[in-house]
Amino acid sequence: MSNLVDIQNLRVSFRQDDGSYNDAVRGVSLSLGREKLGIVGESGSGKSLTGRSLLGVLPPYARITVDRMEFDGIDLTKASGRQRRALRGGRMGMILQDPKFSLNPVMQVGQQIVEAIRIGDRRISGGEARKRAMAMLESVHIREPERVYGLYPHELSGGMGQRVMIAMMLVREPDLLVADEPTSALDVTVRTQVLSIIDELVTRRGMGLILISHDLNLVSRFCDRVLVMYAGHVVEDLVASRLHDATHPYTRGLLACLPTIDGPLEPLPTLNRDASWAAA
Amino acid sequence: MSVVADPIEDPRRALRAARLSEFRTFVRRFLRNPLGVIGLIIVVVLILVAISAPLIATHDPYLPQLAKRLSAPNPEFWFGADELGRDIYSRLVFGSRLTLFIVGLVIVTSAPIGLIIGAISGTYGGWLDRIFMRITDVFLAVPKLLLALAFVAALGPGIVNAALAITLTAWPPYARLARAEAMVVRNSDYVAAARLAGASQFRIIVFHIIPMCLSSVIVRVTFDMAGIILTAAGLGFIGLGAQPPLPEWGAMISTGRKFIFDQWWVPTVPGIAIFVVSLGFNLLGDAVRDLLDPHLRQRR
Amino acid sequence: MIEIEHLTVRFGPSTAVRDVSLTVQDGESFGLVGESGSGKSTLLRSIMNLNRDWDGRISINGLDAHSTPRKRLAREIQMVFQDPYASLHPRYVIGEQIAEPMRINGMANAERRTVELLELIGLGAKFRFRFPHELSGGQRQRVSIARALALSPKILLLDEPTSALDVSIQAEILNLLNRLRRELSLTFIIVSHDLAVVSYMCDRLAVMRNAEMVELLTRDELRGRDIKTDYTKALLAAS
Repeated sequence: MSNLVDIQNLRVSFRQDDGSYNDAVRGVSLSLGREKLGIVGESGSGKSLTGRSLLGVLPPYARITVDRMEFDGIDLTKASGRQRRALRGGRMGMILQDPKFSLNPVMQVGQQIVEAIRIGDRRISGGEARKRAMAMLESVHIREPERVYGLYPHELSGGMGQRVMIAMMLVREPDLLVADEPTSALDVTVRTQVLSIIDELVTRRGMGLILISHDLNLVSRFCDRVLVMYAGHVVEDLVASRLHDATHPYTRGLLACLPTIDGPLEPLPTLNRDASWAAA
Repeated sequence: MSVVADPIEDPRRALRAARLSEFRTFVRRFLRNPLGVIGLIIVVVLILVAISAPLIATHDPYLPQLAKRLSAPNPEFWFGADELGRDIYSRLVFGSRLTLFIVGLVIVTSAPIGLIIGAISGTYGGWLDRIFMRITDVFLAVPKLLLALAFVAALGPGIVNAALAITLTAWPPYARLARAEAMVVRNSDYVAAARLAGASQFRIIVFHIIPMCLSSVIVRVTFDMAGIILTAAGLGFIGLGAQPPLPEWGAMISTGRKFIFDQWWVPTVPGIAIFVVSLGFNLLGDAVRDLLDPHLRQRR
Repeated sequence: MIEIEHLTVRFGPSTAVRDVSLTVQDGESFGLVGESGSGKSTLLRSIMNLNRDWDGRISINGLDAHSTPRKRLAREIQMVFQDPYASLHPRYVIGEQIAEPMRINGMANAERRTVELLELIGLGAKFRFRFPHELSGGQRQRVSIARALALSPKILLLDEPTSALDVSIQAEILNLLNRLRRELSLTFIIVSHDLAVVSYMCDRLAVMRNAEMVELLTRDELRGRDIKTDYTKALLAAS
C-alpha cells in the first residue's frame, strides 16, 4: 500500500520584527495511508501549520523547507501553483474550526456547495449541481436539505454549519481530508454527531484523514494513529488504542493533567516542561 | 529584581522604562518603511525651516524692491523675485511658519473636540448619541471648502479665522471614528471589569475608551494635515485666508498666477512647496496607519 | 451567601433565563454547567448586574443586587472573564490594572497590595511593568484573577475561566483557584461547558438547558451516577 501522504523533515518559519526567523515547525515527518491520523498538540506546537503546509495554504510570509512532500506520488515541492490549486478541493479537502468564519456570510449555504462543485466541473448544469448538493447535504444527515439549502451561515447552529462545511469539502470526493479542530467550537453533545459523520464518510469512501486537535482523548478515541507534537517537533507516534502506554513525558504529562469526573480531588499534576523536549 | 522596600522613584522609573521600550519597538518598525521615513524627513525639514526661518532666509520677506521685480532665479534671488521684487525663497521660508501654524491650530482644536464628542456619543448611546450624530451629519453634509468659506465670510478674512473655519469642518470625521471605536470598546471585558470595580462613566470614557480611540484618530490626523494645507491654500488663493503681505503659500500662488506663462517661478515655486509638504504628510500618515491601525494588525 | 429567587432575563422576545432559583452558601464552590445558549453566562452576568434587565430577586451577602450601589457590591463580589486575551486593557501595564480597583475605591497602599496580589497568583513583582501583550494566556488569566481579588471580595464569579487555555495551563489555573479559595475562604460560582472541570472544582452544580435549570446535584451524586434527568445523563455520556 503506497502512502497517500509522505512528508519528510518539514520546517516552517516566520520572519520576526527584528529580522530573525522563528521556527514554528522543526523537522516534522509523517506518512499516512488511507487511515485516520490524529495530530495532537497545544497552541504553538505547530500542528495546524503542518496541516496547512500540506495543502499549501500558508501565509506568504512563511518560509517552508521540506526534504520530501508527496501526495499520492505527486511531488508537491515541484508542483506549480495551478497544480496545487487543482489538488486542493479536488483531492485534498480541509475543514476548519468555526464554520462561522469559514463559510461566506452573504451566500446561501446550498449555493456555496454548488460553487464547490462548479470549481471541479465547469460544465455541469445548474440543476445537476443542485441535485448533487442536496444529496451531499443528506449524506451529512441534515434532515431537511431543501430548507437548509436556502439558509445563510448565520442561521445555522454550530453543528449544522460544520456539517455544511463537511458537505462542501467532500462533495468533490477528495482522497484526503484535513480537519483542523473541527469540533472545538461545538457543544459536547454535537461533537460526537459530527465526528461520527466524518468517520462514516471517511471510512465509506476509503479516504485518508488527518485530524488536528488539542484534545488527546478525543483523538485517541477516534483515530487509528496519533502523533503528539510539542514546540514544532513530533515527540510521540503511537497507535491510538495504546495511548495510555505512551512513553514520552510530555504525552504522559498531558494525560495526567486533565481533570476527570471520577478522578481524585488533589491538585492536578502540572507539566514540568523540559527544555530537552524542544531540542533538535 | 525583587523589591521588598520600594523607594518611590523606582516604580515610576520602571513604568517609564516600560513605556519607553514600547515606543522604541514602534520606532523600529516605523523605520522599516522607507516611504514613511521619507515623509517623516519632509515633515522634519519643514519644521526645521520654520524654526530657523530668520537664519536661513536671504532677504526680508516683506521688503519690496520694485526695480528687481519678477527677476528670474539667480544667485541673489534663489527662487526668483515676485511682482513686488520680494525674494520668493525667503517668502517661502517664512511662509512655512504660517503653514505650520494653520495646521497646528486646526489639529490641536479639531481632533480633541471630535474625539471627545465621539467617545461620549459612542459610550452612552441612546438619545445623546443620536443628537451628537445628527449635529455631526449636518457638518459633514456640506463640502469642506464651502463650509470653511461660509465661516470665513462670516468671521472675516484672516489667518486665524481661516484656521478656525477649517477646524469647524475638520472635527466631524474624528467624532465618527471615535464613536465607532467607542461602541466596540464599551462592550469589552476590561471595561466591564472597571465598571464592576465601581468606575464612574467619566473615568471609563477618559481612561479606558479614549486611549483605544487614539490610534484611529492619530492616523486620521496625519492624513488630514495634507488636506488642511490644501484647504488653507485654497482659502488663501481666494483671498479669504492669510491677507497680504503675509507670505502664505496659497496666497502666493493666487497673486502670482497672472505671471505663470512668462515668469513661471512666481506661482510654481509655492505650488511645489505645497505639493511636497502634502506628500510628506500623506506618506507619514500611510506609514503611521500601517503601524497603528488595529484592522491592519494581522500582517506581520 | 448568594440567594437567587425566580430570576428571569429577557432580551426582547427571547428569554435567556427562565425562573431560576438557587442558593450558594458561604465558602461553597458552585458550578453552572450547560451548553451554548443555555443561559449560564447570562445568569452570571445578571448576578453582577452587568446586565440590568432582570426580574426576580438576587441577594448577595444580604445586599439586594438591584438597589445596592456599585462600589458597595464591588467589595463583596467580583468576576473573572473568559477570554484572557480580551479581559485586560491593552494600553496599561499590569500593575496599573490591578491597582485600578483600589484607586477607584480610594484604598491606601495600592502599590504594596499590588505586589502582594502578584505574588499571591504566582507572578513576581516585576510583572507590574509588563504590558498584557507580553504575557501568555495563562499569565493574563492570573492577572485577571489578581484584579478581581484587589478589593478583597469574598465571592468570585468565574465565566469559563479556562476554556480559552491549553490543557496544561488549565491545570495550573485550576490549582491556583483551589489554593486561593482555601487560603482566602472564598466562595466560587463557576460557569463551564466542561463537566469534568466543574466536577473537579465544585461541590454542587446546576445543569442548565434552554434558559432553565433542569437539575441540581452534588458532586457525589454526579460521581455516583445518581442522576435524575436524561439531559444530564446525555451530557455525562458525551464528556
